[in-house]
This record gives sequence, C-alpha cells and structure tokens, in this order.
Amino acid sequence: MPASYEQQITLAGDLHARPAGALAVAAGRFASAVSVTASGSTADAKSVLGVMGLGATSGQHITVSAAGPDAREAVAALIAILGEATKVGG
Amino acid sequence: MTAQPVSTGTVGIVLVSHSAELAAGAAHLAAQVSGGTVTIIAAGGTDDGELGTSAAKVECGLRLAESGLGVVVLPDLGSAVLTVRAVLEDADPATNVVMADAPFVEGAVAATVTAAAGGDIKSVAAAAEEARNARKL
Repeated sequence: MPASYEQQITLAGDLHARPAGALAVAAGRFASAVSVTASGSTADAKSVLGVMGLGATSGQHITVSAAGPDAREAVAALIAILGEATKVGG
Repeated sequence: MTAQPVSTGTVGIVLVSHSAELAAGAAHLAAQVSGGTVTIIAAGGTDDGELGTSAAKVECGLRLAESGLGVVVLPDLGSAVLTVRAVLEDADPATNVVMADAPFVEGAVAATVTAAAGGDIKSVAAAAEEARNARKL
C-alpha cells in the first residue's frame, strides 16, 4: 500500500498561469498521484489546465495530496512552489 | 518562424497556425507557463508572410524541435492538418512525430508543461488531446 500525505497552505496570491505551470511541471516529475483541492474542487496537479481551472485566489486554503512511492517529497515540493510562486503573481 | 529558448532532453513542440502571430504568441505563452525548458517552434503563416500554412516552415520546425525524444505537432485549424500530413508523408520514416488533435492554445500549454516535466511523446500528445476536456469556468 503506497504512502499518502497531504498538507494545506493559504495562498499568498492568485494561482495564475505561471504558478500553475510551475506546479504542474514539478508534479509531473513525481511518480505519485498528486492532486490539489481548493474550495471543494479537486484537480490533478500534473494537469496545468486542471490546476488553472480551479480558479484559486489569494487567501484561499489549498490542500495538496499525494499517494505513491514519493508522496511525501511531492507534497513538500508542491507546497514550497505554492508558497513561492503565488507571491509574484503571473 | 520563432524559436523559443532551445534545450535538450525533452519532447519538442511545433505549433502550426495559419497566422504567424498566433503561432508565435502561443509559443511564447506556452514557454512562459512551462518555465522555458522545452523547445517550441512556431510555424505560422505562408512563406511570404500571409495567412496560411507552409510546408517548408513545418518541415523546418520539425527538424529544429527534434532533440532525440520526438516531436508533438499541434495544428490550429483543419487545413493546417493537411499541410502537416503532406510534410509527414515525405519525411524520413524514422521521424518520431505525433500530430495531436487538440485545442490550439490549451493544447500547446498542456503539451509543453508535460514535456517540461519529462513526459514521453505519448504522454505529451495525450496531455494536448485531454485539453479538450478541461473546463475554464
């Protein structure tokens, strides 16, 4: 049974195209299934269009969940990106 | 024809549009969203800069985008498909090219992001084609 992890972060800015792209590129490098949830909607973190489709905005709580062999690393990496990338907008 | 920053180690992308500006703009957007690590070639307009497509530009784009892992081509409208098919018919049989049936802008962005993450040619083409199911609203 693969490990699963999740962690929450409050967005410092809107989840625009560039941060969504950075998130999806990073997620795609992990073997684990990774998802992001905002306001009850969940998207595959490896799908940039899905992540953008969440329409997540500044102040919203985002949950990153991963299940698989590198789930812990995937969650840590994506939380870090969400923390950094949404600061600059784009 | 506009080349975004060239790199190696990912599947390449060729954007074939009737409009040079549309192809270049989509390439710019896809490069920005994906972090600029994927070779994206814009092959838009005719040889004399009018609206239309150019077999010469497509053929050149396929060569420029190939870094050993194959190339995914996105046409904007139906007749761009004819141009790409004509080029592929004349190409070396070993050419590793997949044409994706996808919305142009969304497909370009999704394909490039998947290529940047290290996806193979099949998953890059699939990401482009899945773009038709992504809702914006």
